[in-house]
Amino acid sequence: MTDSPCFEPLAAGARALSLPADRFKTARLTAALLLPLSEEEASSRALLPFLLCRSCAAYPDFTSLNRRLNELYGARVSAEVTRLGETQALVLTAVSLDDRFTLDREAITAECAALLRSMLFEPALENGRFRTADVEQERRMLVERIESEINDKRRYARRRCEELTCEGEAFAVDRYGRAEQAAALTPERMTAVWRETMEQARLLLLSQSGAGAAAADAFRQGLAQVSARSPLPLKPVPAPRGKAEVRRVTERMELAQAKLVMSFITPAAESRSGAEEVAALRLMNALLGGTPHSLLFRHVREKLSLCYYCASSVDRHKGVLLVDSGVEEANAGRAEEEILRQLERVRCGDFTEEELEAARRSVVSQMATLGDLQSTLAGWYLGQANRETPLSPDGAAAQVAAVTPEQVQAAARSLRPDTVYLLAGEDSPA
Amino acid sequence: MNVITYQHERTGEVCHRVDHPSGLTIFVCPKPGYRSGYAAFATRYGSIDTFCLNGQGKATPVPEGIAHYLEHKLFESEDGDAFARYAATGASANAYTSFDHTAYLFTCTDQLEDNLEILLDFVRHPYFTEETVQKEQGIIGQEIRMLDDNPGRRCLFNLLRALYTRHPVRVDIGGTVESIAHITPELLYDCYHTYYDLHNMALAVAGDVTVERVLAVADRVLGTDGSADRGAAVLRTPPVPALAEPEAVAQDRIEEAMPVAAPLFYFGYKKAIPEREAGRLQTPAELAGAAVLCELLAGRASPLYARLMAKGLINSSFGADLFDGPGYAAWLFAGESADPDRVCEEIREEIARLRREGVATSDFEAARRAVYGRMVAGLNDVENCADARISDCFNGREPFALIDEMAALGVQWVTERLESDFHDTCSVLSIVRPV
Repeated sequence: MTDSPCFEPLAAGARALSLPADRFKTARLTAALLLPLSEEEASSRALLPFLLCRSCAAYPDFTSLNRRLNELYGARVSAEVTRLGETQALVLTAVSLDDRFTLDREAITAECAALLRSMLFEPALENGRFRTADVEQERRMLVERIESEINDKRRYARRRCEELTCEGEAFAVDRYGRAEQAAALTPERMTAVWRETMEQARLLLLSQSGAGAAAADAFRQGLAQVSARSPLPLKPVPAPRGKAEVRRVTERMELAQAKLVMSFITPAAESRSGAEEVAALRLMNALLGGTPHSLLFRHVREKLSLCYYCASSVDRHKGVLLVDSGVEEANAGRAEEEILRQLERVRCGDFTEEELEAARRSVVSQMATLGDLQSTLAGWYLGQANRETPLSPDGAAAQVAAVTPEQVQAAARSLRPDTVYLLAGEDSPA
Repeated sequence: MNVITYQHERTGEVCHRVDHPSGLTIFVCPKPGYRSGYAAFATRYGSIDTFCLNGQGKATPVPEGIAHYLEHKLFESEDGDAFARYAATGASANAYTSFDHTAYLFTCTDQLEDNLEILLDFVRHPYFTEETVQKEQGIIGQEIRMLDDNPGRRCLFNLLRALYTRHPVRVDIGGTVESIAHITPELLYDCYHTYYDLHNMALAVAGDVTVERVLAVADRVLGTDGSADRGAAVLRTPPVPALAEPEAVAQDRIEEAMPVAAPLFYFGYKKAIPEREAGRLQTPAELAGAAVLCELLAGRASPLYARLMAKGLINSSFGADLFDGPGYAAWLFAGESADPDRVCEEIREEIARLRREGVATSDFEAARRAVYGRMVAGLNDVENCADARISDCFNGREPFALIDEMAALGVQWVTERLESDFHDTCSVLSIVRPV
């Protein structure tokens, strides 16, 4: 086991976390701006990281910036928007070759860290606002990104089911917001959004390089330039409201295979429950449908041959568990029955010690391998951004190791069926 | 036992290659500081291998999708499936079938020897019955239907069907619901015995491992007297050259409508492979050069990217790549665009411009560094380290040769390729349009 890293304060509502990176060929720096997910602001905020990472004061246009990044051994600064429960995270990541591996031993990581800092704090403005052409390009691409979510049918169906489950709650807001909202964004608006975000967002800086301290200093200076910094406080995520009875929704489009997504809600979640309950939820999910030896995989796929995938996943921030499967529409009812039957088994403790231990080993092993990829480890710690102290993967593994069969049962019992969503082909079976 | 150690100074990586007496080629890549171990056990057998040797040693055509079907069925044995065995160790296991190889893999944090034993054992013990083969029809049928709904994949496979007239790369890896209905236990056994010979296979292990630990398991499970397999000539049967592919494309345009937000496209230039070179693979120098050329043509710092972006014709999904394997190679441009035809025109114009004006040394140098940096960055990933050894081995390349070629690459290769390739008469535009 390795020691748990600690957050280091940078400024009000801004923290840094430094992780060792000796064994990697690259240095990675992640800056996340964290804001409450809001229906009105989702799109404007989602546009911001994409707009910021296309230029900065020193390299005001996209091509010259990318040319410089190519010279820096293909360094990449990329934008991403993710959701942590009901927090919207605007993420900029700079990855570059570690200085030890450049062809002529050029030092490049410091320059990459400076570029990232400059993108956030000194964007390329013209007459005090973002340039029209930049905003137009990024706005178009954001609209396309939102609209093309339909291209990945599994993801789209899962997202629809989440929306239906938490309708009217912040959790239902898409991380990119709505296309109409995105299409209306202007350079003036985006300039104001940038200023507001720098003032109001909490910030997490993750550094996975030998130069973590220098990067933290650079960001401290950047933050000091922000005049009226008053980060919005983090609120606990409310439990899903739930419904009087299970909601069933079928939507149709031209498809070869139907997607069945069932949602279950639970009061247990990171900001509302103890660590033990969250660990039990993790383990219960693995036992039910998180591995290729889980109950769902073995019964719905292997025994009944109904599908290629049938899996469960849990959002531990909000307390929503989804089970999803790609099936023939005519078989959706059978799949649903079998999924409920397997869940019932977990609820009444009808699983063997061997099954539970297999699930536990699998979760513990996944946690242990997380640190072998910089991107997954960064993702893990980004997921800790709303906590007072970060939980390391080893810490989480130790918690899972201590979960009892009764706690697993209790976690399954806490689940309430909420929505059954089916995305199906145009012609319903007779 | 013959152990060759590759000590790669530029990157600090080490790789050991062992020609195991059983006939198997083994690679071990220790990664100090890493906690996971990853192994891939692969055979040079994929969807482009459309024949197998029957019991009489005669080459017989097989149904489309059989290599992938075999991959699924190998997980089962008489006393349960391999996933159940891995469940006891906590390893995370998987497998995949590509155009030219099939690989079985796992990632673990402890019990590496036990996991390796499971891997080597189940892949070496086929067990197919009417009942188990039948059962898989439903599962793979749903996998095929799922992929049918994937517009990017459809767009690519439509392109391949249009680029190639004879080469089996034009056939979908998974086959069709119809073709897999013809698969029988006998055919699976014939394919297995044709291609799953240790002399036609490789094992690569990376991460928290040593050569000694890997060899101890290989010796025990595979034996060391070389009697495990016949070692007959098991390479591509019949060899791919027999399927010589004409220079011309099958059709220059292919379209399909699916529920997508905006049109997706693949635009491909088929590379001519002379008949005497059919089956030939790209050399490390060619692959290194290709990566740099793609960066120069369509990378984020390229004039083409800037132009297409300014005209609103592409988004960040745009990129170029050399798609290659035994007997096939094509330059592919892919993306999402409201007007794929105009994107094609712009690509053609950019190629013409580069031919006319040449490639500036400074542009070349920036692109070369970028590709070099990304290749070295790829060594962070344990899985990538092992998978690259398998791919290099099956394609006759030395470990790390690609990175070294990249460091040595000159601008001339790129200029020559711009002249010799990218002929409009050998190009295809594949589009998936919104319904």
